[in-house]
Amino acid sequence: MSIKFISGNEAIAYGSLQAGVKVVSGYPGTPSSEVITSLFKNKPEDLYVEWSSNEKVAFEVAAAASWAGQRALCTMKMSGLNVAYDSLASVAYSGCSGALVVYVADDPGVSAGMCEQDSRGFALISDLPMLEPASVEEAYSLTRFAFELSESTGTPVFIRMVTATALSYAGMDIKDPPVFPECEPKLIKDIAKYTKAGSAICLDQHRDVIERLAKAGEIIREKNINSLSLSPEAGGLGIIVAGAVFPYLEEGLRLVDEYGLKTGPVSTLKVTATVPFPAEEVRSLIKHCSALLILEELEPHLEKDLYIEAHKLGFSGKIIGKLDGTLSRIGDYSAEQVVKGIAAALTLKLPADLFGSEYKGEKLTASRPITTCAGCPHRGTFLAINKAIKELKMKKDEVMVTGDIGCTILGMNPPFNTVWTEISMGASIGFAQGYYHSGVKTPIIATIGDSTFFHAGLPSLINAVQHQVPLTLIIMDNGWTSMTGMQVSPGTDEKFQQPGNQRLDLAKIVPALGINHFKMINPYELEESTAAIREAMTLSGVKVILSRQECAIQAMRQGKRYGKSTVIEGNCNKCKLCITVTGCPAISLGEESIVIDPAICYGCGLCSQVCNREAIERGPVKDVL
Amino acid sequence: MYYDIYLVGVGGQGILTIGEIVAEAALKRDLPANFYPTKGMAQRGGFVKAQLRLGRDNVGPSIAEKGADLVIAMELSESLKALRYLKPDGDFVLYSSVWSPTAVMLGKAPYPTVEEVLAEIEKTGGKIIHVKPEGRPEFEGQPVPENVYVLGAACRYSSLGRFINPDEIRVTLENRWKKGVERNLYTFDAGMSSTL
Ligand code: SF4
Ligand code: SF4
Repeated sequence: MSIKFISGNEAIAYGSLQAGVKVVSGYPGTPSSEVITSLFKNKPEDLYVEWSSNEKVAFEVAAAASWAGQRALCTMKMSGLNVAYDSLASVAYSGCSGALVVYVADDPGVSAGMCEQDSRGFALISDLPMLEPASVEEAYSLTRFAFELSESTGTPVFIRMVTATALSYAGMDIKDPPVFPECEPKLIKDIAKYTKAGSAICLDQHRDVIERLAKAGEIIREKNINSLSLSPEAGGLGIIVAGAVFPYLEEGLRLVDEYGLKTGPVSTLKVTATVPFPAEEVRSLIKHCSALLILEELEPHLEKDLYIEAHKLGFSGKIIGKLDGTLSRIGDYSAEQVVKGIAAALTLKLPADLFGSEYKGEKLTASRPITTCAGCPHRGTFLAINKAIKELKMKKDEVMVTGDIGCTILGMNPPFNTVWTEISMGASIGFAQGYYHSGVKTPIIATIGDSTFFHAGLPSLINAVQHQVPLTLIIMDNGWTSMTGMQVSPGTDEKFQQPGNQRLDLAKIVPALGINHFKMINPYELEESTAAIREAMTLSGVKVILSRQECAIQAMRQGKRYGKSTVIEGNCNKCKLCITVTGCPAISLGEESIVIDPAICYGCGLCSQVCNREAIERGPVKDVL
Repeated sequence: MYYDIYLVGVGGQGILTIGEIVAEAALKRDLPANFYPTKGMAQRGGFVKAQLRLGRDNVGPSIAEKGADLVIAMELSESLKALRYLKPDGDFVLYSSVWSPTAVMLGKAPYPTVEEVLAEIEKTGGKIIHVKPEGRPEFEGQPVPENVYVLGAACRYSSLGRFINPDEIRVTLENRWKKGVERNLYTFDAGMSSTL
């Protein structure tokens, strides 16, 4: 036992160890990645952990382990759930044999990027129970419960957290996990359960999944996972508060009190298991109260069911939430929404300047578009694409460059302004094909990172080859899944792979697909890279360029420097070309010349190649990755 | 007693470390702490913020508008993003260092002046504690780390010093980095004795 300062994600990891988890798989994605990162650091010998090639594969690995009777965990961010869902829905209908817990992290308020989607909808479509920890502490205790619930009902169980809880740190008393007896895998042959062979089986499974959810609902009720607290006297305000919003309730009530406003009797229902809908508790609350407030982030899922129950009971009081327009479906919550909701439900008058005042000062903030790191290999690729387009006497707005997920998307920002689209993992390649079929006559370029290519780019490239779509695919291979915090990908150098794992080399895989033209480039050599991209753009068929250099941040962490660039003061006339073209964060304007910060310069030499006054000397360079 | 701190800056300034140090000092004396860093693109020199809530168990990670007892801002322009979170009677520690985005460096985009920023903070009604980067001393020929320096100044001039004893911060600094203890303590004390 020891007090540790841990994040919500780490709490999931510790909770899983407490539950005797045997197999853990996932794909990196902020804000969910630390579960697996921390398990790698803190791994008991008999636990199997992997970063899978994508979330669908990760889910299948975990699901099969649970079908063999083990306890398994699978982790992903909300976008990953979209990828995993095909298999997940099928497994939901089959159920599981051991325990299967799926952890998904949503991002209300969007601090990590991508769609502000509410993954509770997925639990609803597939009739799977969903638990939503309100704090780091609850993440720990609910994880253990999730495994027990899954095992006792034979249903996969979701744990859903939001960024604020997943990435928050709190002091926790962590016990050493108990010793679990060795659990032998079971091979269970059960066609009616593990296949979808025929409508009779499928209809039975649909009935089963509904029954399993009902059974899970009973256990959730018996264990008081959702807690109802009714005021001594009837009437007054009833507040339903879901998952991560709960900690703001007390704070909001206190604020209302501080403003000198009277709430009268308040009853609360804390909903921790948001699926299945806690109808019985909600009915008790409706019968007890004269006005209702529902606090849930993102979509009004609980609220809609609340309306149904209220209608059935003939409730005639106010229901305040999103559907009446008081609260928003957009963004994350704090005590602010609690206060607004209470005021609306009880018709209290809040001080006028309380929230949402206009801060004109905020508009003075200088915009700070994010760019690639100093020495980032992607910088070279973007510069080469821009240069190739120019050398072919085309304008940048004539050449579609589709983009993908990860650090490679930074090509959409200045100074590059190279990339046009960001959709989902691997989509750059499919979109490039659709643009071609739409009749676009100018060259089409798709850009993608290595990890993203392994994740979902491969099937799209196969489609392009089969249908012979003339496009230039540039795979920017930096050897890591960088954006999410430097996880190992299938292409990462052998020495960073788990013992016994094998590295996959894109330089061997891609040419084997039967593409028409393949070339490997070093993105730090601008002329050479530009020439290769220019050539590919003029050829027919599917062309792939593999632009390969290790992520500069990771390389520097290993103490590597690609080279050394030095300013020759006398030659620099401060024309700023190196800054405008490369946007490298290591370069700034000094008194006499530009200045390179030796602490962050990787020595990639791109600035020196851009300078036309020989004012940056490029030292000797080392080999490519 | 509750105490909420809102921290803003850019990646590379060590703003998150300030939050971690204070949280660690709080935990050591059993004061509940919830620390919620938002790194965003920290590694790539982007905006970084963190919210530290002390004194309550199971507190929600996000501070409501006008809810922070203390703001610590380490970059002049980014400090404006914290305006709306300061309590009307809160303390605003501004360390007015400038990290120019490229467009500003090239003279193609505006950047607020110190006077403009101070005027905006003043409008919130909070107390301004302006720590000037020029005052940062050197230790063994190297400028001292900004974050620990600012933390020292915050302990001396803001309500933080009443909530957390500076000695508790000193102990945390000693335990956190076994190397460079002397330098960090020197830096912290330099912040404590800085003039505004
Ligand atoms: S060599 Fe030039 S472009 Fe490359 S990291 Fe150093 S300063 Fe930046
Ligand atoms: S983390 Fe690596 S790949 Fe990503 S922008 Fe930085 S250097 Fe480039």
